[in-house]
Amino acid sequence: MMRMCLTGLAFGMGVLTIFASPPLYRTFCQATSYDGTVTRRERVEEKIARHDSNQTVTSREIVVQFNADISDGMPWKFLPTQREVRVKPGESALAFYTVENQSSTPITGVSTYNVTPMKVLTTEEYSILYNRIYFNKIQCFCFEEQRLLPGEKIDMPVFFYIDPEIEDDPKMNGINNIILSYTFFKDKVSEE
Amino acid sequence: MSSGGAFGGNRGLRPVPPEKGVFPLDHMHLCDLDKKEYLNCLKTAGNKSEICRGFSKKYLQCRMEKNLMAKQDLAELGFKESNAESPAGKTTERIGDQEQ
Repeated sequence: MMRMCLTGLAFGMGVLTIFASPPLYRTFCQATSYDGTVTRRERVEEKIARHDSNQTVTSREIVVQFNADISDGMPWKFLPTQREVRVKPGESALAFYTVENQSSTPITGVSTYNVTPMKVLTTEEYSILYNRIYFNKIQCFCFEEQRLLPGEKIDMPVFFYIDPEIEDDPKMNGINNIILSYTFFKDKVSEE
Repeated sequence: MSSGGAFGGNRGLRPVPPEKGVFPLDHMHLCDLDKKEYLNCLKTAGNKSEICRGFSKKYLQCRMEKNLMAKQDLAELGFKESNAESPAGKTTERIGDQEQ
């Protein structure tokens, strides 16, 4: 049983460093089906319900700050709407970005995101944080084309959740600041 | 979602899409009022998310009402009515089913 679970972990995540982290291992194995199929990632509702029934208490305040970039030649004004959001792990939180098409033609953009802590991490630490084990994007505006008419200005929400398990992981000690970065690229595929 | 793979991200790690997918854009500004109330709350609350949870919830409820977000019990996403009232009974049951 345990062997299958470990196999599921390595296959599903491709990050061997997970084995070194007992709380993560426990969490992940609970979500694994025992017939050896590929691991299913625990959904955020499941995490929330589990921590709720465990009455998990978190104390670390994490300051989430925001970065907004556009690619060259992208005539959009793109900014975070708020400077920062202070959140405790286990609290789902909302943030916004404001986007404005400053050109005279409709433009379609696609965005991608990045999460970095304000601390130099080893590659291993970075991959743990970056692999959204702790930082879960529940819903946002990224990864699909977004079309703005000339002069249109819209606020785009990001709804996210930081896993309480971050407080148990010694590798995440001292991570109190996270920067969420989005970059908008002009979508070359869709022509107006 | 094919464009997701086109971006290598930092250090060659591929970004993963959000769990529930994309928020449709609020082109008609239907939920702007709720959004403004939330943002104003943040300004007066030292940007503490915990203090402004009621406004976050209202904003998401607005989205659901206007079909800008899939309808779901917000208690499942961490917005409970009060500390005393807990949906743990219902959701724990569901998790139990999935573990079988």
